[in-house]
Amino acid sequence: MRKQFKDTVVELADRDERIVVVLGDISHFLFIPFQEKHPTRCYNMGICENALVSIAAGLCSQGFHPFVHTIAPFITERSLEQIKLDLCYNRFGANIVSTGASFDYAWDGATHHCYTDMAILRLLPRMEVLQPGSKTELDTLIRSQYNSGNPTYFRLSDFGHPHDVPVKFGKGNILKNSGAKVTVMTAGPILGNVMEACADLPVNLVYFSTIKPIDKEIIERFRHTQILVVHDAFGLLEAIHEVPDLRVSCLGLPDQFCVWYGTVHDIRKMISLDPGSIRNWLQKKLAATENHC
Amino acid sequence: MNLACKEIRRNILRASRASGHGHIPTTFSVIEMLCAVYETMKFDPARPDWPERDLFVLSKGHAALGFYSVLAHYGFFKPEELLTYGAFQSRLGCHPDRLKVPGVELSTGSLGHGVAVAVGMALALRIQNSPRRVFTLIGDGESNEGMVWEAVMVAANLRLANLAILYDNNGSQRRSLPIPNPTERFKAFGCDTLEVDGHDLAALKAALTKPAATVKVVVGNAIKGCGCPTLAANMFEWHRKSPNPEQFEQFMKELEAA
Repeated sequence: MRKQFKDTVVELADRDERIVVVLGDISHFLFIPFQEKHPTRCYNMGICENALVSIAAGLCSQGFHPFVHTIAPFITERSLEQIKLDLCYNRFGANIVSTGASFDYAWDGATHHCYTDMAILRLLPRMEVLQPGSKTELDTLIRSQYNSGNPTYFRLSDFGHPHDVPVKFGKGNILKNSGAKVTVMTAGPILGNVMEACADLPVNLVYFSTIKPIDKEIIERFRHTQILVVHDAFGLLEAIHEVPDLRVSCLGLPDQFCVWYGTVHDIRKMISLDPGSIRNWLQKKLAATENHC
Repeated sequence: MNLACKEIRRNILRASRASGHGHIPTTFSVIEMLCAVYETMKFDPARPDWPERDLFVLSKGHAALGFYSVLAHYGFFKPEELLTYGAFQSRLGCHPDRLKVPGVELSTGSLGHGVAVAVGMALALRIQNSPRRVFTLIGDGESNEGMVWEAVMVAANLRLANLAILYDNNGSQRRSLPIPNPTERFKAFGCDTLEVDGHDLAALKAALTKPAATVKVVVGNAIKGCGCPTLAANMFEWHRKSPNPEQFEQFMKELEAA
Protein backbone atom coordinates (compact mmCIF):
# COMPACT_ATOMS: atom_id res chain seq x y z
CA MET A 1 0.00 0.00 0.00
CA ARG A 2 2.94 2.36 0.48
CA LYS A 3 3.42 2.77 -3.24
CA GLN A 4 -0.28 3.46 -3.62
CA PHE A 5 -0.05 6.04 -0.85
CA LYS A 6 2.75 7.75 -2.73
CA ASP A 7 0.93 7.56 -6.08
CA THR A 8 -2.30 8.97 -4.66
CA VAL A 9 -0.59 11.78 -2.77
CA VAL A 10 1.58 12.72 -5.75
CA GLU A 11 -1.47 13.01 -7.93
CA LEU A 12 -3.41 15.00 -5.35
CA ALA A 13 -0.44 17.28 -4.67
CA ASP A 14 -0.28 18.28 -8.33
CA ARG A 15 -3.60 20.02 -7.94
CA ASP A 16 -3.63 20.86 -4.25
CA GLU A 17 -0.78 23.11 -3.17
CA ARG A 18 -1.73 22.66 0.45
CA ILE A 19 -0.43 19.07 0.59
CA VAL A 20 2.86 18.63 2.46
CA VAL A 21 4.56 15.31 3.16
CA VAL A 22 6.51 14.84 6.40
CA LEU A 23 8.53 11.62 6.61
CA GLY A 24 10.02 10.09 9.73
CA ASP A 25 12.94 8.65 7.77
CA ILE A 26 10.78 6.00 6.15
CA SER A 27 9.79 5.70 2.48
CA HIS A 28 12.58 8.15 1.68
CA PHE A 29 13.44 6.76 -1.74
CA LEU A 30 9.77 6.30 -2.60
CA PHE A 31 9.16 10.02 -2.23
CA ILE A 32 12.27 11.28 -4.03
CA PRO A 33 10.28 12.03 -7.22
CA PHE A 34 7.74 13.96 -5.12
CA GLN A 35 10.55 15.87 -3.45
CA GLU A 36 12.11 16.71 -6.79
CA LYS A 37 8.80 17.92 -8.13
CA HIS A 38 7.70 19.81 -5.01
CA PRO A 39 10.91 20.58 -3.08
CA THR A 40 9.19 22.84 -0.58
CA ARG A 41 6.45 20.32 0.18
CA CYS A 42 8.30 17.14 1.11
CA TYR A 43 10.53 16.79 4.17
CA ASN A 44 12.32 13.79 5.58
CA MET A 45 12.55 15.34 9.03
CA GLY A 46 14.19 12.50 10.90
CA ILE A 47 13.38 9.97 13.57
CA CYS A 48 11.45 12.19 15.98
CA GLU A 49 7.82 11.11 15.79
CA ASN A 50 6.51 13.32 18.58
CA ALA A 51 7.91 16.45 16.97
CA LEU A 52 6.66 15.35 13.55
CA VAL A 53 3.05 15.23 14.74
CA SER A 54 3.29 18.61 16.44
CA ILE A 55 5.04 20.15 13.45
CA ALA A 56 2.20 18.83 11.31
CA ALA A 57 -0.21 20.65 13.63
CA GLY A 58 1.72 23.86 12.97
CA LEU A 59 1.47 23.26 9.22
CA CYS A 60 -2.28 22.71 9.57
CA SER A 61 -2.63 25.95 11.51
CA GLN A 62 -1.56 27.83 8.39
CA GLY A 63 -3.88 25.98 6.03
CA PHE A 64 -1.80 23.01 4.88
CA HIS A 65 -2.90 19.36 4.71
CA PRO A 66 0.16 17.48 5.95
CA PHE A 67 0.70 13.73 5.68
CA VAL A 68 2.95 12.48 8.46
CA HIS A 69 4.32 9.07 7.59
CA THR A 70 6.35 6.58 9.55
CA ILE A 71 6.22 3.22 11.37
CA ALA A 72 2.93 2.43 13.12
CA PRO A 73 3.83 1.90 16.80
CA PHE A 74 6.11 4.91 16.91
CA ILE A 75 3.72 7.41 15.33
CA THR A 76 0.69 6.21 17.31
CA GLU A 77 1.60 4.66 20.66
CA ARG A 78 4.65 6.87 21.26
CA SER A 79 3.03 10.03 19.94
CA LEU A 80 -0.43 9.59 21.43
CA GLU A 81 -0.31 12.83 23.41
CA GLN A 82 0.79 14.88 20.41
CA ILE A 83 -2.10 13.45 18.40
CA LYS A 84 -4.52 13.99 21.26
CA LEU A 85 -3.57 17.57 22.10
CA ASP A 86 -1.94 19.18 19.07
CA LEU A 87 -4.28 17.64 16.50
CA CYS A 88 -7.52 16.66 18.20
CA TYR A 89 -7.79 19.21 21.02
CA ASN A 90 -6.45 22.05 18.90
CA ARG A 91 -8.61 20.98 15.96
CA PHE A 92 -5.85 20.65 13.40
CA GLY A 93 -6.67 18.02 10.81
CA ALA A 94 -3.37 16.41 9.87
CA ASN A 95 -3.17 13.00 8.22
CA ILE A 96 -1.19 10.28 9.95
CA VAL A 97 -0.15 7.46 7.65
CA SER A 98 1.48 4.47 9.27
CA THR A 99 3.21 1.45 7.87
CA GLY A 100 3.77 -1.86 9.65
CA ALA A 101 0.23 -2.74 10.69
CA SER A 102 -0.29 -5.42 13.35
CA PHE A 103 2.36 -8.07 12.58
CA ASP A 104 3.55 -6.86 9.17
CA TYR A 105 7.04 -6.54 10.68
CA ALA A 106 6.80 -9.95 12.32
CA TRP A 107 10.51 -10.61 11.88
CA ASP A 108 11.41 -7.48 13.85
CA GLY A 109 9.76 -8.71 17.01
CA ALA A 110 7.36 -7.14 19.49
CA THR A 111 8.96 -3.69 19.43
CA HIS A 112 7.69 -3.30 15.88
CA HIS A 113 4.30 -4.97 16.23
CA CYS A 114 1.35 -2.60 16.42
CA TYR A 115 -2.17 -3.69 17.32
CA THR A 116 -3.42 -1.12 19.86
CA ASP A 117 -3.21 1.90 17.54
CA MET A 118 -6.81 1.89 16.30
CA ALA A 119 -8.25 1.06 19.71
CA ILE A 120 -6.42 3.99 21.27
CA LEU A 121 -6.92 6.53 18.52
CA ARG A 122 -10.65 5.87 18.21
CA LEU A 123 -11.02 7.19 21.76
CA LEU A 124 -9.84 10.67 20.76
CA PRO A 125 -12.51 13.26 19.94
CA ARG A 126 -12.63 14.26 16.24
CA MET A 127 -10.24 11.47 15.21
CA GLU A 128 -11.00 9.48 12.08
CA VAL A 129 -9.55 5.95 12.09
CA LEU A 130 -9.27 4.14 8.79
CA GLN A 131 -8.04 0.62 8.08
CA PRO A 132 -7.98 0.14 4.32
CA GLY A 133 -7.61 -3.48 3.33
CA SER A 134 -6.28 -2.96 -0.17
CA LYS A 135 -4.60 -0.40 -2.41
CA THR A 136 -7.89 0.54 -4.02
CA GLU A 137 -9.51 1.12 -0.66
CA LEU A 138 -6.56 3.26 0.42
CA ASP A 139 -6.78 5.38 -2.70
CA THR A 140 -10.51 5.93 -2.21
CA LEU A 141 -10.18 6.82 1.46
CA ILE A 142 -7.26 9.21 1.03
CA ARG A 143 -9.06 11.11 -1.69
CA SER A 144 -12.18 11.26 0.46
CA GLN A 145 -10.63 12.30 3.78
CA TYR A 146 -7.23 13.98 3.44
CA ASN A 147 -8.77 17.43 3.73
CA SER A 148 -11.70 16.55 5.99
CA GLY A 149 -10.66 19.06 8.64
CA ASN A 150 -10.34 16.29 11.22
CA PRO A 151 -7.21 14.37 12.14
CA THR A 152 -7.26 11.18 10.10
CA TYR A 153 -5.34 7.96 10.69
CA PHE A 154 -4.59 5.82 7.64
CA ARG A 155 -3.26 2.42 8.66
CA LEU A 156 -1.26 0.96 5.78
CA SER A 157 -0.36 -2.69 5.44
CA ASP A 158 2.05 -4.49 3.13
CA PHE A 159 -0.25 -7.51 3.10
CA GLY A 160 -3.58 -6.31 1.76
CA HIS A 161 -6.44 -8.63 0.83
CA PRO A 162 -7.10 -9.46 -2.85
CA HIS A 163 -10.80 -8.61 -2.94
CA ASP A 164 -12.48 -5.71 -4.66
CA VAL A 165 -14.61 -3.92 -2.09
CA PRO A 166 -16.18 -0.57 -3.03
CA VAL A 167 -15.56 1.22 0.25
CA LYS A 168 -16.82 4.58 1.38
CA PHE A 169 -15.73 6.58 4.41
CA GLY A 170 -17.85 5.79 7.45
CA LYS A 171 -19.69 2.96 5.75
CA GLY A 172 -19.41 -0.78 6.18
CA ASN A 173 -19.89 -3.23 3.31
CA ILE A 174 -22.22 -6.21 3.35
CA LEU A 175 -20.21 -8.79 1.46
CA LYS A 176 -22.67 -11.60 2.05
CA ASN A 177 -26.21 -11.55 3.40
CA SER A 178 -27.87 -14.94 3.23
CA GLY A 179 -30.28 -14.29 6.07
CA ALA A 180 -28.11 -16.44 8.30
CA LYS A 181 -28.38 -16.45 12.07
CA VAL A 182 -24.68 -15.65 12.39
CA THR A 183 -22.87 -12.56 11.06
CA VAL A 184 -19.11 -12.35 10.77
CA MET A 185 -17.70 -8.84 11.06
CA THR A 186 -14.12 -7.99 10.15
CA ALA A 187 -11.94 -5.13 8.95
CA GLY A 188 -8.84 -4.45 6.90
CA PRO A 189 -6.35 -6.88 5.36
CA ILE A 190 -7.43 -9.91 7.43
CA LEU A 191 -10.50 -10.01 5.19
CA GLY A 192 -8.54 -12.32 2.88
CA ASN A 193 -8.26 -14.98 5.59
CA VAL A 194 -11.84 -14.44 6.73
CA MET A 195 -13.27 -14.81 3.23
CA GLU A 196 -11.35 -18.03 2.76
CA ALA A 197 -12.44 -19.31 6.17
CA CYS A 198 -16.15 -18.75 5.74
CA ALA A 199 -16.49 -19.35 2.00
CA ASP A 200 -19.24 -21.97 2.18
CA LEU A 201 -20.37 -21.46 5.76
CA PRO A 202 -23.91 -20.26 6.50
CA VAL A 203 -22.94 -16.81 7.72
CA ASN A 204 -23.47 -13.22 6.73
CA LEU A 205 -20.30 -11.19 6.25
CA VAL A 206 -19.85 -7.49 6.99
CA TYR A 207 -16.62 -5.63 6.30
CA PHE A 208 -15.37 -2.31 7.67
CA SER A 209 -12.62 -0.07 6.35
CA THR A 210 -13.58 2.74 8.73
CA ILE A 211 -13.17 1.98 12.43
CA LYS A 212 -14.19 5.47 13.49
CA PRO A 213 -16.82 6.61 12.86
CA ILE A 214 -18.13 3.05 12.87
CA ASP A 215 -21.16 2.36 10.70
CA LYS A 216 -23.74 1.79 13.43
CA GLU A 217 -26.57 1.54 10.93
CA ILE A 218 -25.12 -1.53 9.26
CA ILE A 219 -24.48 -3.15 12.65
CA GLU A 220 -28.09 -2.48 13.67
CA ARG A 221 -29.26 -4.39 10.59
CA PHE A 222 -27.66 -7.53 11.98
CA ARG A 223 -28.39 -7.04 15.67
CA HIS A 224 -30.84 -9.98 15.66
CA THR A 225 -28.01 -12.33 14.67
CA GLN A 226 -25.07 -13.72 16.62
CA ILE A 227 -22.13 -11.44 15.71
CA LEU A 228 -18.70 -13.01 15.40
CA VAL A 229 -15.86 -10.48 15.18
CA VAL A 230 -12.61 -11.60 13.59
CA HIS A 231 -9.79 -9.05 13.69
CA ASP A 232 -6.01 -8.96 14.00
CA ALA A 233 -5.94 -5.78 16.09
CA PHE A 234 -7.85 -4.09 18.86
CA GLY A 235 -10.42 -1.47 17.96
CA LEU A 236 -13.06 -3.09 15.78
CA LEU A 237 -14.67 -5.06 18.60
CA GLU A 238 -14.78 -1.95 20.80
CA ALA A 239 -16.24 0.09 17.94
CA ILE A 240 -18.96 -2.49 17.26
CA HIS A 241 -19.91 -2.31 20.93
CA GLU A 242 -20.91 1.33 20.39
CA VAL A 243 -24.18 -0.33 19.42
CA PRO A 244 -25.57 -1.61 22.72
CA ASP A 245 -27.03 -4.99 23.61
CA LEU A 246 -25.54 -7.09 20.84
CA ARG A 247 -24.66 -10.78 21.06
CA VAL A 248 -20.98 -10.70 20.21
CA SER A 249 -18.06 -13.12 20.34
CA CYS A 250 -14.59 -12.26 19.15
CA LEU A 251 -11.64 -14.09 17.69
CA GLY A 252 -8.86 -11.62 18.24
CA LEU A 253 -5.52 -11.25 19.91
CA PRO A 254 -4.16 -13.02 22.99
CA ASP A 255 -3.25 -11.06 26.13
CA GLN A 256 0.44 -11.57 25.57
CA PHE A 257 3.25 -10.25 23.39
CA CYS A 258 3.80 -12.21 20.20
CA VAL A 259 7.40 -13.17 20.76
CA TRP A 260 7.95 -15.08 17.54
CA TYR A 261 9.50 -13.82 14.30
CA GLY A 262 8.99 -15.12 10.77
CA THR A 263 6.24 -13.52 8.70
CA VAL A 264 2.82 -12.08 9.35
CA HIS A 265 1.42 -15.39 8.15
CA ASP A 266 3.45 -17.29 10.74
CA ILE A 267 2.18 -15.04 13.53
CA ARG A 268 -1.40 -15.25 12.33
CA LYS A 269 -1.18 -19.04 12.35
CA MET A 270 0.35 -19.02 15.84
CA ILE A 271 -2.51 -16.95 17.23
CA SER A 272 -5.25 -18.80 15.31
CA LEU A 273 -5.96 -16.11 12.73
CA ASP A 274 -4.99 -18.20 9.68
CA PRO A 275 -7.88 -19.34 7.44
CA GLY A 276 -8.02 -22.86 8.90
CA SER A 277 -8.09 -21.71 12.51
CA ILE A 278 -10.67 -19.03 11.78
CA ARG A 279 -12.83 -21.64 10.05
CA ASN A 280 -12.57 -24.04 13.00
CA TRP A 281 -13.59 -21.28 15.40
CA LEU A 282 -16.50 -20.24 13.21
CA GLN A 283 -17.70 -23.83 12.88
CA LYS A 284 -17.66 -24.27 16.65
CA LYS A 285 -19.60 -21.05 17.07
CA LEU A 286 -22.09 -22.11 14.41
CA ALA A 287 -22.60 -25.46 16.13
CA ALA A 288 -23.11 -23.75 19.46
CA THR A 289 -25.62 -21.39 17.91
CA GLU A 290 -27.55 -24.30 16.39
CA ASN A 291 -27.56 -26.17 19.70
CA HIS A 292 -28.69 -23.05 21.50
CA CYS A 293 -31.56 -22.62 19.08
CA MET B 1 10.94 48.36 36.55
CA ASN B 2 9.10 49.41 33.40
CA LEU B 3 5.76 50.90 34.46
CA ALA B 4 3.71 48.84 32.02
CA CYS B 5 5.40 45.64 33.18
CA LYS B 6 4.71 46.64 36.75
CA GLU B 7 1.01 47.20 36.05
CA ILE B 8 0.82 43.86 34.23
CA ARG B 9 2.24 42.21 37.34
CA ARG B 10 -0.31 44.02 39.53
CA ASN B 11 -3.07 42.61 37.35
CA ILE B 12 -1.62 39.14 37.78
CA LEU B 13 -1.69 39.53 41.56
CA ARG B 14 -5.28 40.82 41.45
CA ALA B 15 -6.40 37.90 39.27
CA SER B 16 -4.59 35.35 41.40
CA ARG B 17 -6.06 36.82 44.58
CA ALA B 18 -9.57 36.87 43.10
CA SER B 19 -9.45 33.42 41.57
CA GLY B 20 -7.51 31.40 44.10
CA HIS B 21 -5.21 30.18 41.36
CA GLY B 22 -1.48 30.69 41.21
CA HIS B 23 1.57 30.28 39.02
CA ILE B 24 2.57 33.84 39.97
CA PRO B 25 6.37 33.37 40.10
CA THR B 26 6.59 31.84 36.62
CA THR B 27 4.49 34.64 35.15
CA PHE B 28 6.62 37.31 36.85
CA SER B 29 9.61 35.65 35.21
CA VAL B 30 8.37 36.20 31.65
CA ILE B 31 6.57 39.57 31.55
CA GLU B 32 9.39 41.49 29.90
CA MET B 33 9.96 38.65 27.42
CA LEU B 34 6.27 38.63 26.48
CA CYS B 35 6.19 42.42 26.15
CA ALA B 36 9.33 42.35 24.01
CA VAL B 37 7.60 39.89 21.68
CA TYR B 38 4.45 42.02 21.40
CA GLU B 39 6.52 45.16 20.79
CA THR B 40 8.36 43.35 18.01
CA MET B 41 5.67 41.33 16.25
CA LYS B 42 2.91 42.49 13.91
CA PHE B 43 -0.57 42.12 15.36
CA ASP B 44 -3.93 43.84 15.51
CA PRO B 45 -5.95 43.27 18.70
CA ALA B 46 -9.11 44.30 16.86
CA ARG B 47 -8.47 41.52 14.33
CA PRO B 48 -6.83 38.62 16.14
CA ASP B 49 -7.05 36.55 12.96
CA TRP B 50 -5.51 39.24 10.75
CA PRO B 51 -3.88 37.20 7.95
CA GLU B 52 -0.66 39.23 8.01
CA ARG B 53 -0.05 38.93 11.74
CA ASP B 54 3.01 37.34 13.24
CA LEU B 55 2.40 34.34 15.49
CA PHE B 56 3.21 33.80 19.14
CA VAL B 57 2.97 30.47 20.95
CA LEU B 58 3.24 30.25 24.73
CA SER B 59 4.86 26.84 24.96
CA LYS B 60 5.09 26.97 28.76
CA GLY B 61 1.32 27.11 29.00
CA HIS B 62 1.22 27.35 32.80
CA ALA B 63 2.31 30.98 32.45
CA ALA B 64 -1.16 31.65 31.01
CA LEU B 65 -2.07 34.31 33.53
CA GLY B 66 1.00 36.33 32.53
CA PHE B 67 0.09 35.82 28.88
CA TYR B 68 -3.49 36.95 29.44
CA SER B 69 -2.33 40.01 31.35
CA VAL B 70 -0.04 40.94 28.48
CA LEU B 71 -2.80 40.33 25.92
CA ALA B 72 -5.10 42.57 27.95
CA HIS B 73 -2.39 45.23 28.13
CA TYR B 74 -2.07 45.19 24.32
CA GLY B 75 -5.82 45.47 23.85
CA PHE B 76 -7.06 41.96 23.04
CA PHE B 77 -9.63 42.17 25.85
CA LYS B 78 -10.30 44.27 28.93
CA PRO B 79 -8.13 43.77 32.01
CA GLU B 80 -11.26 43.30 34.14
CA GLU B 81 -11.78 39.92 32.48
CA LEU B 82 -8.57 38.71 34.13
CA LEU B 83 -10.50 38.44 37.39
CA THR B 84 -12.45 35.52 35.89
CA TYR B 85 -9.22 33.51 35.59
CA GLY B 86 -9.89 29.80 36.09
CA ALA B 87 -13.63 30.20 36.72
CA PHE B 88 -16.05 27.61 35.35
CA GLN B 89 -17.38 29.59 32.40
CA SER B 90 -14.44 31.93 31.92
CA ARG B 91 -12.55 32.11 28.64
CA LEU B 92 -9.37 32.33 30.67
CA GLY B 93 -8.40 28.88 31.89
CA CYS B 94 -5.22 28.17 33.81
CA HIS B 95 -3.79 27.05 30.48
CA PRO B 96 -4.64 28.94 27.27
CA ASP B 97 -7.25 27.76 24.78
CA ARG B 98 -6.88 29.01 21.22
CA LEU B 99 -10.55 28.47 20.52
CA LYS B 100 -11.60 30.76 23.36
CA VAL B 101 -9.06 33.51 23.87
CA PRO B 102 -8.37 36.16 21.21
CA GLY B 103 -4.65 36.32 20.51
CA VAL B 104 -3.94 32.72 21.53
CA GLU B 105 -2.63 30.74 18.54
CA LEU B 106 -2.26 27.36 20.26
CA SER B 107 -3.82 25.61 23.22
CA THR B 108 -0.91 24.56 25.39
CA GLY B 109 -0.33 23.08 28.81
CA SER B 110 1.51 19.82 28.28
CA LEU B 111 5.13 20.88 28.19
CA GLY B 112 7.24 20.61 25.06
CA HIS B 113 4.44 20.75 22.51
CA GLY B 114 4.27 24.45 21.73
CA VAL B 115 7.80 24.84 20.44
CA ALA B 116 7.31 21.92 18.02
CA VAL B 117 4.03 23.34 16.74
CA ALA B 118 5.78 26.70 16.34
CA VAL B 119 8.37 24.96 14.15
CA GLY B 120 5.53 23.72 11.96
CA MET B 121 4.05 27.22 11.80
CA ALA B 122 7.39 28.70 10.78
CA LEU B 123 7.86 26.03 8.11
CA ALA B 124 4.37 26.72 6.79
CA LEU B 125 5.09 30.43 6.49
CA ARG B 126 8.36 29.74 4.71
CA ILE B 127 6.63 27.45 2.22
CA GLN B 128 4.22 30.30 1.56
CA ASN B 129 7.12 32.75 1.08
CA SER B 130 5.51 34.84 3.77
CA PRO B 131 7.43 37.57 5.63
CA ARG B 132 5.51 36.71 8.80
CA ARG B 133 7.48 35.52 11.81
CA VAL B 134 6.85 33.02 14.61
CA PHE B 135 7.81 33.57 18.24
CA THR B 136 7.60 31.04 21.03
CA LEU B 137 8.45 31.11 24.72
CA ILE B 138 9.72 27.97 26.43
CA GLY B 139 10.71 27.34 30.01
CA ASP B 140 13.90 25.85 31.35
CA GLY B 141 11.85 23.29 33.25
CA GLU B 142 9.91 22.56 30.09
CA SER B 143 13.23 21.91 28.40
CA ASN B 144 13.63 18.75 30.44
CA GLU B 145 11.20 17.38 27.83
CA GLY B 146 12.87 15.57 24.96
CA MET B 147 10.51 16.98 22.35
CA VAL B 148 11.90 20.49 22.90
CA TRP B 149 15.22 19.28 21.58
CA GLU B 150 13.65 17.29 18.76
CA ALA B 151 11.93 20.47 17.63
CA VAL B 152 15.08 22.57 17.97
CA MET B 153 17.04 20.02 15.92
CA VAL B 154 14.46 20.12 13.14
CA ALA B 155 14.28 23.94 13.18
CA ALA B 156 18.06 24.23 12.99
CA ASN B 157 18.30 21.60 10.27
CA LEU B 158 15.70 23.49 8.23
CA ARG B 159 17.39 26.81 9.08
CA LEU B 160 14.08 28.42 10.01
CA ALA B 161 15.22 32.03 10.25
CA ASN B 162 11.63 33.17 10.69
CA LEU B 163 11.42 31.45 14.09
CA ALA B 164 12.55 32.98 17.37
CA ILE B 165 12.58 30.92 20.57
CA LEU B 166 12.73 32.72 23.89
CA TYR B 167 14.14 30.58 26.68
CA ASP B 168 13.04 31.55 30.19
CA ASN B 169 16.22 30.77 32.10
CA ASN B 170 14.92 31.18 35.65
CA GLY B 171 16.51 28.17 37.30
CA SER B 172 13.20 26.51 38.05
CA GLN B 173 14.68 23.04 37.73
CA ARG B 174 17.64 23.50 40.01
CA ARG B 175 16.14 21.00 42.47
CA SER B 176 15.64 18.24 39.88
CA LEU B 177 17.16 18.37 36.39
CA PRO B 178 18.92 21.72 35.86
CA ILE B 179 20.17 22.86 32.46
CA PRO B 180 23.28 24.78 33.51
CA ASN B 181 24.54 25.98 30.14
CA PRO B 182 21.57 26.63 27.84
CA THR B 183 23.36 29.12 25.60
CA GLU B 184 26.11 26.64 24.77
CA ARG B 185 23.55 23.89 24.25
CA PHE B 186 21.43 25.88 21.81
CA LYS B 187 24.57 26.96 19.95
CA ALA B 188 25.66 23.34 19.78
CA PHE B 189 22.28 22.47 18.28
CA GLY B 190 22.97 24.98 15.50
CA CYS B 191 20.84 27.91 16.67
CA ASP B 192 21.76 31.57 16.40
CA THR B 193 21.82 32.11 20.16
CA LEU B 194 21.91 35.31 22.18
CA GLU B 195 21.94 35.63 25.96
CA VAL B 196 20.41 38.71 27.57
CA ASP B 197 18.91 39.93 30.82
CA GLY B 198 15.39 38.49 30.73
CA HIS B 199 14.00 41.57 32.44
CA ASP B 200 15.69 44.14 30.17
CA LEU B 201 12.98 45.07 27.70
CA ALA B 202 15.31 47.02 25.41
CA ALA B 203 17.88 44.24 25.29
CA LEU B 204 15.21 41.64 24.58
CA LYS B 205 13.72 43.73 21.76
CA ALA B 206 17.17 44.28 20.28
CA ALA B 207 17.84 40.53 20.39
CA LEU B 208 14.50 39.73 18.75
CA THR B 209 14.98 42.23 15.93
CA LYS B 210 18.57 41.32 15.16
CA PRO B 211 18.72 39.52 11.80
CA ALA B 212 19.53 35.82 11.93
CA ALA B 213 20.46 33.29 9.28
CA THR B 214 18.76 30.41 11.06
CA VAL B 215 16.48 29.76 14.00
CA LYS B 216 17.13 32.30 16.72
CA VAL B 217 17.22 31.51 20.41
CA VAL B 218 17.17 34.29 22.98
CA VAL B 219 18.17 32.99 26.37
CA GLY B 220 16.61 35.37 28.86
CA ASN B 221 18.23 35.15 32.28
CA ALA B 222 15.27 35.72 34.55
CA ILE B 223 14.14 35.65 38.14
CA LYS B 224 11.14 33.54 38.98
CA GLY B 225 8.97 35.95 40.94
CA CYS B 226 10.80 39.05 39.67
CA GLY B 227 9.36 42.18 41.31
CA CYS B 228 8.44 40.55 44.61
CA PRO B 229 11.44 39.47 46.70
CA THR B 230 9.27 37.17 48.80
CA LEU B 231 8.15 35.25 45.72
CA ALA B 232 11.65 35.14 44.30
CA ALA B 233 13.05 33.78 47.56
CA ASN B 234 10.33 31.14 47.84
CA MET B 235 9.57 30.23 44.24
CA PHE B 236 8.91 26.56 44.86
CA GLU B 237 6.48 27.23 47.71
CA TRP B 238 4.63 29.81 45.60
CA HIS B 239 4.58 27.85 42.36
CA ARG B 240 0.80 27.34 42.42
CA LYS B 241 -0.32 29.34 45.45
CA SER B 242 -2.74 32.26 45.55
CA PRO B 243 -2.10 35.04 48.11
CA ASN B 244 -4.39 35.69 51.06
CA PRO B 245 -5.38 39.35 51.71
CA GLU B 246 -2.30 40.07 53.84
CA GLN B 247 0.06 38.42 51.41
CA PHE B 248 -1.59 40.26 48.54
CA GLU B 249 -0.96 43.63 50.22
CA GLN B 250 2.60 42.64 50.95
CA PHE B 251 3.26 41.65 47.33
CA MET B 252 1.68 44.86 46.04
CA LYS B 253 4.00 46.87 48.29
CA GLU B 254 7.02 44.88 47.19
CA LEU B 255 6.03 45.43 43.59
CA GLU B 256 5.61 49.16 44.16
CA ALA B 257 9.16 49.33 45.41
CA ALA B 258 10.56 47.37 42.48
